[in-house]
Amino acid sequence: MKKVLSILLAAMLLLGIVPALAETDTITVMVPPVTGTYLTDIETWANEFTAIHPEIKVEIIKTSWDEHNGKLTTLANAGEAPDIAEVSYSTIGTLVNLGVGIEIDKYMDAERLADYDQNALDYMSLEGHVYGLPLYITIQSIGANKDMLTAAGADVAKIQSEGWTYKEFLEVIKNGTTDNCFGFVFANSGVTAADFISIFGASAGITNDFTADLKYAYTSENMLNLLKAVEEMTSSGYMPKYAVEAGQRMVMCETGNAMIFGKAMPLFELNINKNNAALAANDGKAVENSIHVNYAFLPIPTMEGVKETCFGSVDGLVALRNKNTTDEHLKNVCLFLDYLCSGDRAAMVDSTLLLDPVCKSGREVYAKYAVTGLDEGNAACAAREIGLVVAPPSGVSAEQSTNARQLRDEVIVPKFQALLAGEATAQQVYDAICQEAVKLFGADGCANGLI
Amino acid sequence: MTTSKGVSLAARKRFRLTSDDLWGYAFIGVSMLVFCIFTLYPVISAVETSFLKYRPFGSQYIKWQNYAETFKNALFYKATKNTLVYTAVVVPLSLLLAFSIAIMILPFPRKVQSVFKSIYYLPGIASGVALSVVWLWIYDSSPQGLFNQVLSFLHLPTQNWLSSSKTSMLSLMFMALMSGQGSNIIIYIAALLGIDNSYFEAAELDGATFMQKVRYIVFPLVKPTTLFLLVTGVIGSFQVFMNAFMMTGGGPDNSTTMIGLLIYKNAFEYSKYGLACAQAILLAIVIAIISLLQFKLMGVDVEY
Repeated sequence: MKKVLSILLAAMLLLGIVPALAETDTITVMVPPVTGTYLTDIETWANEFTAIHPEIKVEIIKTSWDEHNGKLTTLANAGEAPDIAEVSYSTIGTLVNLGVGIEIDKYMDAERLADYDQNALDYMSLEGHVYGLPLYITIQSIGANKDMLTAAGADVAKIQSEGWTYKEFLEVIKNGTTDNCFGFVFANSGVTAADFISIFGASAGITNDFTADLKYAYTSENMLNLLKAVEEMTSSGYMPKYAVEAGQRMVMCETGNAMIFGKAMPLFELNINKNNAALAANDGKAVENSIHVNYAFLPIPTMEGVKETCFGSVDGLVALRNKNTTDEHLKNVCLFLDYLCSGDRAAMVDSTLLLDPVCKSGREVYAKYAVTGLDEGNAACAAREIGLVVAPPSGVSAEQSTNARQLRDEVIVPKFQALLAGEATAQQVYDAICQEAVKLFGADGCANGLI
Repeated sequence: MTTSKGVSLAARKRFRLTSDDLWGYAFIGVSMLVFCIFTLYPVISAVETSFLKYRPFGSQYIKWQNYAETFKNALFYKATKNTLVYTAVVVPLSLLLAFSIAIMILPFPRKVQSVFKSIYYLPGIASGVALSVVWLWIYDSSPQGLFNQVLSFLHLPTQNWLSSSKTSMLSLMFMALMSGQGSNIIIYIAALLGIDNSYFEAAELDGATFMQKVRYIVFPLVKPTTLFLLVTGVIGSFQVFMNAFMMTGGGPDNSTTMIGLLIYKNAFEYSKYGLACAQAILLAIVIAIISLLQFKLMGVDVEY
């Protein structure tokens, strides 16, 4: 009897211990507040995911936008990158070059990968391999005070539905400029000058750092045209001659000191409506000296001989290698990565940002979360612009991508700042860019003439 | 008397460690350990990394390539020039300013001195980031910026303070001069208080003017302090980073890109750790040479 009891006790002990011994796989995720509630939402989603997959535990590292990239680079360099991190597509090259990027197409079902729009996936790919999943395509363009725009002679509905030329744009900003109001304001202080280049680059026909045949695009004649246009705009008096901080541009529109402003996104309609509501309520929360503004999201004007496009950028989540990475672990990482970027999670994020989902499963449930009561013209314009975004060409190497980023930061943006300050001509800036680009990519690797 | 190994007993007694000795070594050991872990090891590691194409998983030894790349990089020379200009202007002016303020504070009673010292030291305890935000408002290029409002009041044209290469470096220098004098003033006041009053009394009997007293008594007697502040000031100035990072990001046209900022960007924005380490080692060598020269040229007649 004693023997039987002993065996029974031992068996019970083992049964109790075995589940505890079963290893749980811990996934670390590092994200900034992608939306106002993202850091709380992701905790809920992690709990939901763990309920479905009890063998996987999720740890969330919450960051602010200011510290996110610096912290990620430091961790990645130390070999301690989180398993999943939020990045803009332009950072992927640096991470891959560092040897921490994971080709997730090797660990994900092709069926699941097919859920994502190819256009958005192309942004997350390098040399034919997918390194992350997209959360959204942001479209960056210009916005305006609709009433002022109409008073300046612009047909807003036509512009939003058909686009406009650079010549028409110049005429409108000329008409909109008064003693107290600039026709056009673009945040151009410090590194925000990079946005000017990217957004108006689309206006001049430069949609990405590299052309379809993988030549560096900023050495093309399109760039010279862009620089000449900027020179024309800054010297015209329709734009401020001083540097405008990022936070100032929308305030200038809200206070009636600017008619058109950039960069702008569809999401800004919510901010401007909020200010309008505060003005109506007279609760002291409105921007000082602001006026009621009807916001119009506008396409970027197109220069002569250029096909209309819109500058877009993709943000998403990438899988990264660290000291604990194993093949089995990566399968779990990709499982959670896919969970975060698809279905209700994607729909919630995209609806908050007033953007369309970039995956089928997100689109299927989008109606549940869609924000209502917004201007139809703006919504239609945003949808049209998303369709005009051109994904980066396939085949760009990690090194090309890193070099393009460094060239942008060390040469293009600084020289562009000199152009904005009136200290260099368009031709001088263009020559300096070409000279440095040839050193990095070789003469054969740089685009010539119009692209 | 000698032992079998030929070591005299007297000598053994002389080198026997007492309990106090052991405690002494224990305390030194802690400092040495901290120094080795947080200073010596990072320096050795940086030297090693400067010869690598650094990757967290499998770095590649590339000999002197990072150094060669540095010497071929035009931006490195521009950053070096910017740093030298910044140092050459900020350090001497900062010493002059601190010395002048200290001289002016000295005649006041101790309590008044303390009030002035606290006021001048206040920027030192404020966060650098918070200070930068205030200075960004002061240098705001729009007509609402503080300096531009002053210029408008005087009917002078407003300036693109941080966005024009003509004024950006000057703006950073002015900011450094205005916000970083607190500790220098306190050190100078301490040095001035250490000067024996009998020198001044004798000078007054001889009919010396204020400037003669400063020149022949104060200057020579505070020279060790000046040398200390000069050396530490030059070292700090060569490593300047935050002003440019927060205020201009190195622009416009790289006119405010300092070596410290360049190293930071290479390491943390482009993940080129090897290149950043090579540049950091070169910076350390330059600082060491300049510090040695300062000691050689100025430290000859300095007594501590």
